[in-house]
Amino acid sequence: MRKELVDLSINGRRHELAVEPNRTLLDVLREDLRLTGTKCGCDDSSCGACTVVVDGQPMLSCLLLAVSYQDSQIQTIESLATQGELGALQRGFVQEGGSQCGFCTPGMVMSLHTLLESTADPTEEEVRAAISGNICRCTGYMQICRAVRHAVAEIREEEIREKERLHA
Amino acid sequence: MTLPEFTLLRPRNLPEAIDSLDRHRGDIQVIAGGTDLVPSLKQRLFAPRYLLDLKPIRDLRGIRNGHGLTIGAMTTVGAIADSPLVAEKFPVLAAAAAAIASPVLRTTGTLGGNLCLDTRCLWYNQSPFWRASCGFCLKKDGKVCHVAPGGEKCWAVFSGDTAPALLALGAEIEIASPRASRRLPLADFYTGDGMARIKLAGDEILTRVHLPESSAGLRGAYFKYRLRGSIDYPLAGVAVALDLAPDGTCRRGALAVTALNPKPQLIPGAEAALRGSRLSDDLLDRLAELTNRAIKPLSTSASTPDYRRHIARVFVRRAVRQAWQA
Amino acid sequence: MPETAPGFAVIGKSAPMLDGKARVSGLAVYTADMTLPGMLYGKVLHSTVPHARIVRIDTSRAGALPGVHAVVVGNEFPNRYGILPIGHDEAAIAVDKVRYIGDNVAAVAADTEAIADEALRLVQVEYAPLRAWFDAEESMRAERDLIHDDRPHNIEKHYSHNFGDVDTAFARAHLVREDRFRCPAVTHAAMEPHATLAAMQIDGGITVWSSTQVPYYLQRTIANVLEMPESAVRVIKPAVGGGFGGKSEVCPLEVIAAMLSKKCGRPVRITYSREEVFFTHRGRPSQIVDLKTGVDRDGKILAVAAATIQDGGAFCGYGPVTVLYSGNLLAGIYQIENLRYDGFRVLTNKPSCGAMRGHGTVNMRFAFESQLDMIASQLGIDPVEMRRRNLLKPPCFTVNNLRVTSYGFPECIDRVVEASGWRERKGKMPRGRGLGVAGSHYVTGAANPINRSDMPHSSVTLKADRDGAFTIYSGASDIGQGCDVMQVMIVAEVLGVDPSRVRLVAADTGTTPVDLGSYSSRVTFMCGNAAKRAAEELKKEIYRVSAEAQKASGKPIPQNFDEALRLALEASGVIVAHGHYAPPEAARGGHFKGAGVGPSPSYSYSAQVAEVVVDEETGEVRIEKIWAAHDCGRALNPVAVEGQVIGSVSMGLGQALQEEMIWRNGFLMNPGLLEYRSPASCDAASPDIESFIVESIDPEGPFGAKEASEGSLAASIPAVANAIYDAVGVRIMELPLTPEKILRALKQKKKAAA
Ligand SMILES: Cc1cc2nc3c(=O)[nH]c(=O)nc-3n(C[C@H](O)[C@H](O)[C@H](O)COP(=O)(O)OP(=O)(O)OC[C@H]3O[C@@H](n4cnc5c(N)ncnc54)[C@H](O)[C@@H]3O)c2cc1C
Ligand code: SF4
Ligand code: FES
Ligand code: FES
Repeated sequence: MRKELVDLSINGRRHELAVEPNRTLLDVLREDLRLTGTKCGCDDSSCGACTVVVDGQPMLSCLLLAVSYQDSQIQTIESLATQGELGALQRGFVQEGGSQCGFCTPGMVMSLHTLLESTADPTEEEVRAAISGNICRCTGYMQICRAVRHAVAEIREEEIREKERLHA
Repeated sequence: MTLPEFTLLRPRNLPEAIDSLDRHRGDIQVIAGGTDLVPSLKQRLFAPRYLLDLKPIRDLRGIRNGHGLTIGAMTTVGAIADSPLVAEKFPVLAAAAAAIASPVLRTTGTLGGNLCLDTRCLWYNQSPFWRASCGFCLKKDGKVCHVAPGGEKCWAVFSGDTAPALLALGAEIEIASPRASRRLPLADFYTGDGMARIKLAGDEILTRVHLPESSAGLRGAYFKYRLRGSIDYPLAGVAVALDLAPDGTCRRGALAVTALNPKPQLIPGAEAALRGSRLSDDLLDRLAELTNRAIKPLSTSASTPDYRRHIARVFVRRAVRQAWQA
Repeated sequence: MPETAPGFAVIGKSAPMLDGKARVSGLAVYTADMTLPGMLYGKVLHSTVPHARIVRIDTSRAGALPGVHAVVVGNEFPNRYGILPIGHDEAAIAVDKVRYIGDNVAAVAADTEAIADEALRLVQVEYAPLRAWFDAEESMRAERDLIHDDRPHNIEKHYSHNFGDVDTAFARAHLVREDRFRCPAVTHAAMEPHATLAAMQIDGGITVWSSTQVPYYLQRTIANVLEMPESAVRVIKPAVGGGFGGKSEVCPLEVIAAMLSKKCGRPVRITYSREEVFFTHRGRPSQIVDLKTGVDRDGKILAVAAATIQDGGAFCGYGPVTVLYSGNLLAGIYQIENLRYDGFRVLTNKPSCGAMRGHGTVNMRFAFESQLDMIASQLGIDPVEMRRRNLLKPPCFTVNNLRVTSYGFPECIDRVVEASGWRERKGKMPRGRGLGVAGSHYVTGAANPINRSDMPHSSVTLKADRDGAFTIYSGASDIGQGCDVMQVMIVAEVLGVDPSRVRLVAADTGTTPVDLGSYSSRVTFMCGNAAKRAAEELKKEIYRVSAEAQKASGKPIPQNFDEALRLALEASGVIVAHGHYAPPEAARGGHFKGAGVGPSPSYSYSAQVAEVVVDEETGEVRIEKIWAAHDCGRALNPVAVEGQVIGSVSMGLGQALQEEMIWRNGFLMNPGLLEYRSPASCDAASPDIESFIVESIDPEGPFGAKEASEGSLAASIPAVANAIYDAVGVRIMELPLTPEKILRALKQKKKAAA
C-alpha cells in the first residue's frame, strides 16, 4: 500500500512521517514515534487505554486514522511531565494509589487532564463521568477519585500561594 | 489488529465527495468519526478499496438555529449532548446523545454515523477467526442465521441511541447524491432488514438532520437499558416526546424505540393513543402493549428477548410518566 | 492516624510505588513497548474447531511468503509441560489434535504484523472432527472422543474427603439445608494483554521478556520445551499491567515466541490481541456447588458436605489446586468439625481455566455465605450473630489440619457492623433497600510449593556498596500490587536508613535469586520475610566486619550504623547477605490425598457489608455502598493495602453483577472488553467502597503482615446476594445477579404467594 507523507503535530512538535492510510494514530505513536506511553488494551475502542487528547478533547487513538489528523494538535501522556517534573494530577495518582499496574493510567490521566482544563473543582460524579470510558481493572476507581481530589487541592493551594506572593 | 488496505480520499467539499462516491461505487465507504466503522474494518466486516473521509468537509458540521434546528451530519454526538440549545429545545435528543457509549467516544462519533450505524449481533461483531469457527452467517459470508435458523432474514439489531429521540421529534434528514439532494422523514430511512439496514444508495451521503420548530420545547425522556453503566450499546431504548396543554392533556406525542428491532421505529398507534389523553395507568398500559406488539427482540445480544420485552414495557411507562411530569 | 506504625520509621506509612512516577508519565516499559534490533512480529494461528485430530498442516506457502522468517508447528517442539508436575498435558502448539476453539495450531515470525497475518492465512489445516464436550456434567459421562486419552470420562481429578463424623452430625442437626449454586466462568481481564519478547543470543542462550507473574516457572518451562539447560534461559519481567492469576502459569505465546526465536535466530515479539487473551483465559471455572449444611438450634454449624463440579476447560493447568482450595479452605474461616467434600475437575473443549484472584474459594464462598444466611433466616437469627456463633478459636488446627494463627475475622465483623449501622438499620429499611453481610478469607501463600521440595520459597540477596546504597536482589514479581516498594520499606526499616538509599533489582532470573512468583498472595509474607532476614543478616555482618577490623587495629568498635558501614566497606569492599523463607513444618498440613493444598503459614480475613437498592419492576440492583474490613496482619504500606482491598471488592462486584463468559452452542460469545463487562467507573458495580484495615499482627509475618490482595474478593459477592434478599426477599443462587434473574425470582415469588 502506498504510504503518504504526513505532518503530525504531537506534544507541540511537528513530525513528518511516511504512513500508510490504514494505520491508526495509536500504531503511529507507538511504533513510528516510539511514544509507547499510550497503551493498547483492546484495539477495538472499548477500554480507553489508548486515550490521547486531540484538539483539547479526549479520543481513542486506536480508532483514529493517523493520516486524517494532520490539522490537529495531538497530546499524549508524554507531554504532561515537563523536564521530569510531574504535574499535580500525576502527583495525585502517585500519592493516592491511583495507579496500580499502571496500564490504564496514561489514558485515565489524559481523560482527567481534559476534565481539569474545563472544570477546576469537579465533583466526584463529574470525575467518574469523565473516566467512564476508561476501564481500570485494578483500583475500583476509588483511589483515582482521591488522586483527582489531591490534585485539585494542590492546585488550589498553589494558586493561593501565588496570590500571596503577588500581594507581598 | 491491522486494518485492511484502502485508499483514503479526503474531499474538500460535498460535490467532490459525491463525485468520488459515484466514481468508486460499490468499492467505497464513507467514514465519519469511524467509531463504528474502524472496529468493524479491523474485524473485516468490510474491506472497501476506498474510504471517503467526511471530516474535511467543514459545512457538514455544526448546529444551526433557525426555523427548528439543523444539525450537520458530522456534528459529534458529544457536541449535541453538551449543546445548551439542544438541551433547551429538544431535551430528549440531548438525553439520548449523552447516553451514547462514553465520553472518549462521544468526542469522535458523529450524528450521521449514529443514524447510519450498522446493525449489531453477537454472531456478527466478531473477528474473522471467530466467525470462521461458527461458519459465518447470513449477514456476512455465510448461509445461515444463528439467531433464527431456517429463516432468510437477518435480525441484527439497530443499536443507535439518537434515532428514537429524533423519530419521536419528527426529524427529517437530508441526503446528497449525484442526482438531486433529497429530504425525507427519518422514519422512512430504515428498512427493518438487518442486512440492508438503511435506504441509502452507495453514492449518497447523509448531510443534515432537521428538527421541526413544531417539536421545539416538547417534553421528552430517553430511557436506555444496558448491563454496564457506560460504554455499552443499548440493549433496549425508549424515547418519548410530548406536547402538553396547560391542563395536562396531551396535544401531541410520539414514542419510539431502539435496540429491539433491526430498525429504530416509532410505535404505531402511540400518537393516536396519546393525543387528547391524560396521564393514567391505563394510558401507560396501552402504550406498553402497543410497544410490545411492535418489537421483536431475538437472541442477538447478552440479554434475553423476554427480558428486553419486559424492560421495553417498563421503560415506556417510565419514560412517558417522566416526560409528562417533567 | 500516626504517619508510621508506633515504633517504626518506615513501616506503616503509605509509600508510592517504586516506579510510580514512571507509570503516571508513560515511561514504565511493558513488554509490548519493547523492541530490539532485527525484531520480528510473531503471530499464532488458532483452531476454528473445538475438538479434532489434525490430519495435515501445510505451511509451505506461508513459509515462502517474502518477509516470513520462521514458521513452527507443534511436532517440532513436542515436550509437554504444565504448571503442576501432575499435569504436564500441554504443548504450546497443538500436537496431533486440537482441544478448543482458539487452540494453537501454528505460528509465524515476520517482518511486520501484516505479513504475519497474511502468512497465517496461507497455512492450510485439515481437521478430522471429534465429538466436542462443552458441558461439564455431560463431559463426565463421555465414553469416547476423550479430550485426553489418559483421562477416562474426561475427569481430570476427583478428590473425596471426609473429616469427623459427618453423617452422625447431620442426623442430630436441628436443621439441614441442601442447595445448589451455579457460577459461570469469569476471567481476569487485566488491562495489559499478554506479550512476550524472546531473543535467541549468539552464545546459544535465550533471553525472554514477558508479562508474567512467574518468571521462574517460565524459565523452567522454556528450558524444557526448547531442550536447553535452565541456565541458558534468562527470563526478565518488565512492568506488568495486571495479572490477577492470568499470568501465573506459562501461557502459549511465551513458549511460542521462544520457539520462533530459536528457529530463526532473531528476536521475536508476540503481543496477544484482546481476543487471544480471552481464548487463553486461565480464569475462574464455571462451577456447580451442591452444599449441605446442618446446624443446631442455635445456628451452630454441625456438619458441612460440599460437592462441586468445576468445568476446567481443555487442560489441567492449576485445576487440581483450584478444586482443592474449594474444598480444603471451607474449614479455614468458621468452626466446622465434620466436613465432607467431593470435588470434580472436569475437562471440556473450552479454553483452560486456571488461577484467578481468590483462587478456588470465590464460588464456594458465594454458596456458603448465601446458605448461611438462608439458615439464619430460617432460624430467625441475625446474620451477623450467625457468623459470630461459628467463629474459629485460634490458635488452632482445623479438622483438616490447617493451622490458623492470627485471626482478625471477629474484629473485621465488628468494624463493618459498626460502620454500616447494621444494628440500627438492618430490618428497618424501606422495601427495596437491604443490607447483607458476608465473610471470606484466603491463604497467605501456599505452605507447600508446586514442585515439592524443602528449598526456600523466596530468597533475597542484599548488597551494601561504596555508594552508600543498598541493593536488593529479589526474584519477586511486581505486577501492580506494589511488592517492589514493600521490600524496600522492609529493608530500610531493618537497616534504619532512608528508603531512598535502598535500590531494587527484581524479577530477572539472570541476576536475582529464585522467588516462586506472584500468586496465592505469597509475596509480602514470604519474600517480605526473606528481605527482612537478609537485612538483619546484612546489618549483623556490617557490625561484625567493622568490629573485627577495628579490633585488629585496636580502635573502638563503631556504635553508629553508617560509621560501621563505612568501616566494613573499607575492610571488605562489598558486604553481601542473604535471607530465605520457607514455611514452617507445622503449617504444611495433613497427610491425606490432597492435603498439600490449602495449608498456608497464615490466613487473611475479610468481612463486608453491602447496601443495595433493588428496583422491583426491572430487577436492577444498585449497590449503594460496600464496607469492607480486611485483616492483613499489619499494613506495611496502608495505601497499597487499601488499594488491594478495594480492587478485590471491585472485581468481586463485577462477578456479582455483570461479568460472565457467555457460552452458546460451544462458542464464546464475548471475547472482548465491550461484551465482557468489567466494571466501569459509573456503574452499579462501582459503588463507594469504604475499606477498613484490621491488624491482627501475625506471629510469623514480616512485622506481622500477611495477605491483602485476594481475601476480600470472595465476600463481596455473597454480601450483595444477601443484601438483595434483605431488600426484596428473593434468593438468587446463580451468578451473575442480573436484573433478569432477580425479576424472574420476584415473579415466581409472587406466583407462589398468590
Ligand atoms: C465501545 C463502543 C461503544 C458504543 N456505544 C454506543 C452506544 O451506546 N450508543 C450508540 O448509539 N452508539 C454507540 N457506539 C457507536 C458509535 O460510537 C456511535 O454510534 C457514533 O455516533 C457513530 O458515529 P461515527 O461518526 O463514529 O460513525 P462511523 O463509524 O464513521 O460510521 C458508521 C456507519 O455510518 C456510515 N456513515 C457515517 N456517516 C455517514 C454519512 N454522513 N452519510 C452516510 N453514511 C455515513 C459509515 O459508512 C458507517 O457505515 C459505540 C461504539 C463503540 C466502539
Ligand atoms: S441475526 Fe442472524 S444473520 Fe443477522 S447477524 Fe445475527 S446471526 Fe447473522
Ligand atoms: S486500545 Fe483503544 S480503547 Fe482499548
Ligand atoms: S491501574 Fe491497573 S488497570 Fe488501572
